[in-house]
Amino acid sequence: MSKTDKSKNKLKEEVKNLEILIIDDNEQITKMLTTFLELKDHKCTVANDGKEGLALIKENRHDVILLDLAMPEFDGYSVIKNLEENNMLKDHKVIVFTASTITQEELDDLVKRGVTAYILKPIDIDILHSKLVDTANL
Amino acid sequence: MLPIKHTLFIVSGVSSFIIFYMGIVNFLTSVEESTGMILLIFSVFVATGTLLGTVHISTSITKPIQKLAKNMSDFSKSNKMSDENQIKTNVKEIFELNENFVSMGEKVEKTITLQNEYVQKLKDMDRKKIEFSSMVSHELKTPLVPILGYVQMLQKENFLGNLNEKQKDAVDEIYASTVKLQRLIGDIMTTQKLDLGKLDFNNEDINVLDLINGVIKEFKPVADAKNIELVTDYDKNTHIFTDKDRLNQVFSNLIKNAIDFVSQNTGKVIIGAIDNLEDIEFYVKDNGPGISSENQKEIFKKFYQIDTSTSRKRSGSGLGLAICKGIVEALGGKIWVDSEENIQTTFYFKIPKKPIKISVNNESKKFEISI
Repeated sequence: MSKTDKSKNKLKEEVKNLEILIIDDNEQITKMLTTFLELKDHKCTVANDGKEGLALIKENRHDVILLDLAMPEFDGYSVIKNLEENNMLKDHKVIVFTASTITQEELDDLVKRGVTAYILKPIDIDILHSKLVDTANL
Repeated sequence: MLPIKHTLFIVSGVSSFIIFYMGIVNFLTSVEESTGMILLIFSVFVATGTLLGTVHISTSITKPIQKLAKNMSDFSKSNKMSDENQIKTNVKEIFELNENFVSMGEKVEKTITLQNEYVQKLKDMDRKKIEFSSMVSHELKTPLVPILGYVQMLQKENFLGNLNEKQKDAVDEIYASTVKLQRLIGDIMTTQKLDLGKLDFNNEDINVLDLINGVIKEFKPVADAKNIELVTDYDKNTHIFTDKDRLNQVFSNLIKNAIDFVSQNTGKVIIGAIDNLEDIEFYVKDNGPGISSENQKEIFKKFYQIDTSTSRKRSGSGLGLAICKGIVEALGGKIWVDSEENIQTTFYFKIPKKPIKISVNNESKKFEISI
């Protein structure tokens, strides 16, 4: 927490060393995000499915969690539901990202339940970074 | 209207009376009393016989007709033939009438059953189409994520290493095409949602002046790059209660087209609104090449693109105006175009100031399935 407090007053571009958990089944996407975020001097952990992601969430604290909603079997919704059931959703900063087959109502509902932000695919990496920093600084 | 029964009774009553009357006249005027008496008794029998005969005939005609009429009215209510269609009658015409009704009813029933099956099939196909299209759009969007990500990284200075001028140009071209592909996928998805009546609409209080200034601000850089004028002639503080994002989408599509079609340096695009009592008529006017009257009829159709002799490089998907039409109509409004070739083109769209509930349309639209 002290880390994010310190960076609060800095410019977005200068925010570094965030610990980011990326949960997405698509390896090309996780590789691209890792390449980008590591070049921005953040630390990335990758989980390729919801179950693995959930275990990592419970193990360690991350500054931000990037969660893909559409995954086979244990998807992003299941991760959110599990966190909710364990009263843990409000403790984590979760950004969900999705191709916009989801309706605005569903997105609003997720935010109401405690998801911090959402990003629609395809992702503009500059927007992604600014949302990441905003979310981490909340 | 007079029932058959009454008509028959009147006719038979009158004739019985005449027969009876003639019997009495005969009785009174006959020379021999016994002959008169016989005639009188005879006339009483004939008159009674006529009356009874009429009652019998009338019931044998009217009963089955009444039953038939009831069957018909039941059928028209339920569209189902009842099991008690057979009516007893000795009258040939009524028998035939009933036979024809029964065979017609059975045919109608079959047609309706068949129709319902088709509707169900269409609904199933429709559902499958939605599932398929949402799957396709998801699958198309997913590989765009890393493409766009890496291209953006390549475009950054000192990020993945610096590129020479030619490489930079190449990456910029890849970026432009990727964005275009992304927009096309988005447009296709919007069109599908509009067709199925599945697009979400919000209602919010919008200041028309702010809205217009907002879109002008958004497109100022594009207009400046082409050195054309982008202005408004609206200055009233009017409010409208509708979906701001969707209204912006309509404006964006129309302004993009207008900027695309006007000539560099001399082009002019005017955005405005006419404040009516119940609605606001927005417009986007340009001094571009205009649209011929044949093309004016077609431009709101999907994937319709005008072939211009100048064959300019168009960036659109051919869905922009179809989307505009879909959105405007879903908001309870109307869109149309007015144009004179080589002079001007004005797109108007009228939106009610207060939201209108329209959901009836969507149901019928659901069955406009093209394969």
